[in-house]
Amino acid sequence: MSITLNEINKAEALRYMGYGKAKPDEVTLRNIDECEKALLESINPKYIYRVFDIRHAENSVEIIGTSLVLTGTDICRHLKGCDKAALLAATVSDGADRLIRYYSAFDMAKSVITDCLASAAVEQVCNEVDRIIRSSTEQKYQTWRFSPGYGDLPLEVQKDFLDVLDAGKRIGLNVLDNYMMVPTKSVTAIVGLSDSEISKGRRGCSCCNMRDRCAYRIRGEHCGV
Amino acid sequence: MNTVEFKELLKKEYVLLDGAMGTMLQASGLKMGETPEALNLQKPELLVDIHRKYVEAGSDIIYANTFGANRFKLHKCGYSVEEVIPAAIANAKKACEGTDTLVALDIGPIGQLLEPTGTLTFEEAYDVFRQQVLAGKDADVIVFETMTDLYELKAAVLAAKENSDKPVICTMTFEENMRTFTGVCVSSMAITLEGLGVDAIGVNCSLGPKELYPVVEEICRWTELPVVVKPNAGLPDPVTNEYNCSPEEFAQYAEKLLPLGVKILGGCCGTSPDYIRALCSMLKGRKHISTEKHIPCAVCSPTSTVVIDRPRIIGERINPTGKKRFKEALAANDIGYVLSQAIEQVHAGADLLDVNVGMPGIDEKAMMIKVLKQIQGVVSVPLQIDTTMPEVLEAALRVYNGKPIVNSVNGEEKSLSTVLSLVKKFGACVVGLTLDENGIPKKAEDRFRIAERILDRALKLGIKKENVFIDCLTLTASAEQEGVLETLKAVEMVKTKLGLRTVLGVSNISFGLPNRELVNSTFLTMALTKGLDLPIINPNVASMTGAVRAYKLLSNIDVNSVEFISNYNGVQNSSAAPASAKTADLPYALANGLKDEAASLTAKLLEEHEPMYVVNEMLIPALDKAGAEFETGKIFLPQLIQTAGVAQVCFEEIKKKILSSGEKTVSKGKIILATVKGDIHDIGKNIVKVLLENYGYEVIDLGRDVDCQLVVDETIKNDVHLVGLSALMTTTLVSMEKTIKLLRDNNVDCRIMVGGAVVTEDYAMQIGADYYAKDAKESVDIAKKVLG
Repeated sequence: MSITLNEINKAEALRYMGYGKAKPDEVTLRNIDECEKALLESINPKYIYRVFDIRHAENSVEIIGTSLVLTGTDICRHLKGCDKAALLAATVSDGADRLIRYYSAFDMAKSVITDCLASAAVEQVCNEVDRIIRSSTEQKYQTWRFSPGYGDLPLEVQKDFLDVLDAGKRIGLNVLDNYMMVPTKSVTAIVGLSDSEISKGRRGCSCCNMRDRCAYRIRGEHCGV
Repeated sequence: MNTVEFKELLKKEYVLLDGAMGTMLQASGLKMGETPEALNLQKPELLVDIHRKYVEAGSDIIYANTFGANRFKLHKCGYSVEEVIPAAIANAKKACEGTDTLVALDIGPIGQLLEPTGTLTFEEAYDVFRQQVLAGKDADVIVFETMTDLYELKAAVLAAKENSDKPVICTMTFEENMRTFTGVCVSSMAITLEGLGVDAIGVNCSLGPKELYPVVEEICRWTELPVVVKPNAGLPDPVTNEYNCSPEEFAQYAEKLLPLGVKILGGCCGTSPDYIRALCSMLKGRKHISTEKHIPCAVCSPTSTVVIDRPRIIGERINPTGKKRFKEALAANDIGYVLSQAIEQVHAGADLLDVNVGMPGIDEKAMMIKVLKQIQGVVSVPLQIDTTMPEVLEAALRVYNGKPIVNSVNGEEKSLSTVLSLVKKFGACVVGLTLDENGIPKKAEDRFRIAERILDRALKLGIKKENVFIDCLTLTASAEQEGVLETLKAVEMVKTKLGLRTVLGVSNISFGLPNRELVNSTFLTMALTKGLDLPIINPNVASMTGAVRAYKLLSNIDVNSVEFISNYNGVQNSSAAPASAKTADLPYALANGLKDEAASLTAKLLEEHEPMYVVNEMLIPALDKAGAEFETGKIFLPQLIQTAGVAQVCFEEIKKKILSSGEKTVSKGKIILATVKGDIHDIGKNIVKVLLENYGYEVIDLGRDVDCQLVVDETIKNDVHLVGLSALMTTTLVSMEKTIKLLRDNNVDCRIMVGGAVVTEDYAMQIGADYYAKDAKESVDIAKKVLG
């Protein structure tokens, strides 16, 4: 499935570039506009999701009809009260990687800017997929997006996760031996679905593996997730 | 079965393939995420049963259940390629007993993306496919399907052709935007694969037969090979995973594809024997519709096809001959410089780039492979491989992604016999030089005769006429003035009498004369009017590129002057701010991203000052200031790098100056940088590199996904005393630790600094690094401390 982005959330991209409330200089602003235009022309955002029944067990959640079992207290807490879950994968495509590489050969500043814009773009795609899931499923309530590698849900689950979605074939999203996704500007996530209200688990630093070394936290900010 | 027998099969009006395997297996209880190929050994009866249903439905060829049977994907289930593939083929063969149905070894993508986006090398990919091809020796046909990367597919086709004599069918997966996930366009697929000598090409998966119509139409426009279509059963529902096209509808839409010239049909995801049966009855009694074709002469990269139907500029700058800076870059393995030359020419208007890296003292073959791969990683224009060494040419043709031009063959027997067979094998275009054992003939008629001879030999080898270009050779006007018109006459003869496209290296004409640019552009225009198609020029010279554009306008090729106007309508597309002459001094240029101004200001400063003075008194203070502002939060990363980027341009000027004066390069010491094994996120490392280079350090950039041992070897070999390692993922931190350990175990005399999003100071110390750099700025401080 494809999604077309008409613009990129530049405020978000600026945060990734390290600008807090500061305003960039004019050259950078012009570069951002140029990179945004080039990026929108280069990417081809795709997503896939599937909704599964789930079974709760002690310290794990089984995705019924698949070989996938999600383990750890954090994913159990995340999916508490849900009887279904959507597994989703989204990518802005190889076009972003190509553009970042292209700029890095002659203009590193544009490469960095494009990298941050592409990160913002994949978040936008995920938000859109969230909305699509909400509008196409019967369940009234859905959780936020919990990704492999968050908290104690092992990153090692990434391979099986993508196999279940057949993501290589369907959206061109693959995973390397060390669980890194290619194209790099991609996201996988689990969204819990429920008919009854879900206790709002706060998304935040507590279950983030980066909390000890996060540049945003050091600056007293928050990554926004 | 060999290719001849396959051609027999193609005498049938239509050839019918099978439908989905995965869909059938899931219907019989295979869980999503499990390895379907393991069932070949675990439940052979189930496989035979499914295959038999397709045979009974009318399939002429069925695909064995081997789609993902490669060493990577089988890893999960514990079986080997040599166990799974023969068992799968045996199951399929069993189902075909007593029928004429053939069995295909079915091979899908490896599932590990190839360089440059992924980490798998072309050579490794070849080896993965080779193993599958050898294990599948009992099959009748080899099929590569669902491919999205032309490079991976090329490795696959070479593995098949070099390790078996079976017919090869290739289908790629195209999206509605007419491209694959990695951006491959239909035309590039068609001309590359036809060149490699496959037996049928087409499309499978991704969409239904209705949505694939434009893709199929485009494929048929670009190939004379039999065209294969194996669509999905429409589009899937994300919640139920059910496809929306019934067997009857599937056959109805497939019927609409027949007038396009489709020959081979089947079904992919979501289809079943019912779909094949529906196709079979739809095709019954129908005659194949062959269409009249005129395939354009073209060359390509995976994402861009350049049709040679008008003058196209070949950029000549990637060539060390007579260029000190280029030679220095090659000697220092500085691929970054070569890439900047590629990009500069493309920005200036080159349609293709000539690539020549031959010079004494380097391993030309290794360099050619590296340079081709890297150039193709950053620009999409097709390339012309320029070498005099057959073994370099062969290696280059192997790793080139797409259909290139070979520069060159000539009328000598030795050249004809070695070069043309390589051109044929790899499906390239070739430039024939009109010279032979006796040198360059003076008369146009004699050059024409050599051109004829080259064409004749090419045709005998099965190279198509339109893939042969002729270079009638430019002689220097100052030495052989009467020869200029002979060259032009020869161009005209080759063009009109042989009907071949022509090439000329233009710049040679003015050698030894003043105002070379004027002579070059005038000669270029004269040659264009005689029918020159592919001028090899320096596109960075505005009057040269301009002459080609103006010619296209005046000869009514650039219809409505669209290209001309878009290039010369006065729009400033530079990202730099307009500089007022008064304010632009070097610090101002550095702070405001003014590259061109910075370059000319530096050149001016160098007229009065020593290079080291400019570095130490002008550039470094400006960079220090930017660094300090970055640390205090006055400027941010993009601006810091922006400044560094401008400084890089200044350094190029300084290097040029130093090289021309014959002095040694300015270097404050060597530093090795590497993104560790397994990690492909190299943006952080690249930022550090730019900054370090700006402070006068010589950076040896080993790239990303770098083997631990390579870091050790290069550090010792280059006598380097500071190594910088970067990692972005928690999963690749181990490689960082391993690399450090290996450096220590080998007692390498170096300091190690580490950095990257997931690295902390504590962790850095724990794994034995000497320094932790929290950002690029700090890596400069460390370098100052260690190297001075």
